[in-house]
Amino acid sequence: MNSTVKTDQGHRAEEGIWIFIFADMCMFGIFFITFMYERLKSPALYIESQLQLNQALGMINTLVLLISSWFVVLATRALHRGRPKYSSLFLGLAFFCGAVFVVNKVIEYSEKIEQGISILTNDFFMFYYVLTGIHLAHVLGGMVVLFVLMRKLKNSSFQKTGMSTVEGGAIYWHMVDLLWILIFPLIYFLR
Amino acid sequence: MINNKTAFRHELISAWCGPAFLITFVVFWGIIGQNLPNPSPALSATELAARYAENLSAIRLGFIVSLITVVLYLPWTALLSAQMERIEGGFPVMAKLQLLGGGLTVMVVSFSAMFWVAAAFRPEQSPEITRMLSDLGWLCIDLQYACTTLQMIAAALVGLADKRSVPLFPRWVCYVTIWCGLSFLPASFTGVLKTGPFAWDGLLSYYIPYACWLGWFLIASTCMIKEVNRRKLVAETAENSSLVTSHA
Repeated sequence: MNSTVKTDQGHRAEEGIWIFIFADMCMFGIFFITFMYERLKSPALYIESQLQLNQALGMINTLVLLISSWFVVLATRALHRGRPKYSSLFLGLAFFCGAVFVVNKVIEYSEKIEQGISILTNDFFMFYYVLTGIHLAHVLGGMVVLFVLMRKLKNSSFQKTGMSTVEGGAIYWHMVDLLWILIFPLIYFLR
Repeated sequence: MINNKTAFRHELISAWCGPAFLITFVVFWGIIGQNLPNPSPALSATELAARYAENLSAIRLGFIVSLITVVLYLPWTALLSAQMERIEGGFPVMAKLQLLGGGLTVMVVSFSAMFWVAAAFRPEQSPEITRMLSDLGWLCIDLQYACTTLQMIAAALVGLADKRSVPLFPRWVCYVTIWCGLSFLPASFTGVLKTGPFAWDGLLSYYIPYACWLGWFLIASTCMIKEVNRRKLVAETAENSSLVTSHA
């Protein structure tokens, strides 16, 4: 008990990050509500279009992001325990997962474009490209955050004072993961 | 150098240009200019030309006045830059970036309104031409938001680095600013889509990002006015106490 109190002292994550995350989740909440609202107008079109998606790639990406979130948890834990080198390594692994996600998405998009499916094909694919595209922008932003944190952890003073910054980055990365976990069933599986 | 009193007066006038911009923008650009709701990109050329013909005087008045009042954004931007420079110190890169971003925002907004004035200029012209000019206006304002995003991110980064006991922007304002700046992102889809929530008359590419931009502007204006008043109060107290001591 004592040790937890000790390690948690002065290590609270930046409060502002929660405001950012709240706003972002509200935005995606509105995305999802509009998607469902539009979907109700022509469910057949949505289900038929959905069958053309590559569920396997979507599934792989879900797993990749879940694993990356786990690495981020390990990274914050390592830093808590005073092992910045491990922390940096785990952030690197999470970054690598992010890169795999991006490559996978590029493969998926190019597959669709080769089949002649674009953002203008129909309303379902409009949502597909827009929602996954905006999420992809979040992944890229998150990778920049992870990379910066990795670099900063080389600095010995940051190793001592950077806990709240690392936690802020970790919280953001978890949100990116969470958003995908909502987008994936909504777009790929909802019948 | 001009004296303190005059300097503070200039600062306060610039700060209050913020709310003045906000009100005139909503009234002239939004309401009188018939942009609430705005024309759908799915309208046919004849439908759009009819919309212009029906509201000709309002559209002309709204956008011609908007083109004047939009410059109220400039003194406000200049003041914010000066306030940021004070925080940044000797090498105010972000303050300069904010200045550029704010200045270019005015040009983006101005050019789009100018296209709509042009669309209303010869109501007898062929409807396709009216539609082309209206399209240009919308694409101009909706695809070039990145200047404004940079302006906002620059302000937020300096705000987060402000270590004074009472900072220019509270930390939550800085995070809201970054998020509001990024909320424009969906507007890029207006370059392709003609219907739905991501078209330029849609909830997610129009109403939400514009509300976020103006909301940020209102919050930032409030913080800026407060900051000027704080410094003014300190300066006045110092002046009064020096007067007292010199009399004694």
